[in-house]
Amino acid sequence: MKDIVNNTAELCEYLKGLVIDTLRLDDVTKEEIENDAPLFGEGLGLDSIDALELVVALEKAFDVVIEDENVGKTAFASIVTLAAFIQAKYKDRE
Amino acid sequence: MRWIEREERVRFNEVDEWEMAWHGHYVAWFEAGRFSLLEHFYLLPRQMVELGYIAPVINLTCEYKHPAACGDVIIIRTGAIKPDIAALICKFEILLKDGGKLLARGETRQVLLTKDRTMIYQLTGELEKRITAMVEYCAGE
Repeated sequence: MKDIVNNTAELCEYLKGLVIDTLRLDDVTKEEIENDAPLFGEGLGLDSIDALELVVALEKAFDVVIEDENVGKTAFASIVTLAAFIQAKYKDRE
Repeated sequence: MRWIEREERVRFNEVDEWEMAWHGHYVAWFEAGRFSLLEHFYLLPRQMVELGYIAPVINLTCEYKHPAACGDVIIIRTGAIKPDIAALICKFEILLKDGGKLLARGETRQVLLTKDRTMIYQLTGELEKRITAMVEYCAGE
């Protein structure tokens, strides 16, 4: 997993797949999710309950903890911010 | 699942024109059942507030298996299962006291918010302790 985290483009692709699988977005493809488009509200239209499911999926995949909605708001702003959030968490560990 | 049980009697004002308990009342019975369960683990709504949290329901399901009639004594069974997310998941069964026939089965999901309405993603401290105690109790035979 560390190799994916170090490669931003690859990480973004991985995260798109994770969002689609976790939230069972059957009618959305990876190509339709833009790296810097908002995941919540207007963008992909996710809600706060979806965030809760994503938190668990990210914890399983990357062993990163997102404490609450306040932290989540920054992390889940877009695919790019989510990737940066995970990369920062990995960096802290080193 | 180890359940907490309580009894209710179906009242005249709870049945419809077809002499069956109206479907919406099952939600009130679930609520009564949940109160009995939470009481055992110091997780009643006001006790949650004392800990700094509220727990609104975000999902409710109910399968109706057999109608209850006015005067029937029903048993409301409530249990909690380990959630995959930071949430509270209660399971319910409603049975006829006489004969034990299953009337309905359901589930509710509640998320946990701090008093300033921020959703929490991780259970910690006293709240985690009490929810874990409840889930472990219910996981018993």
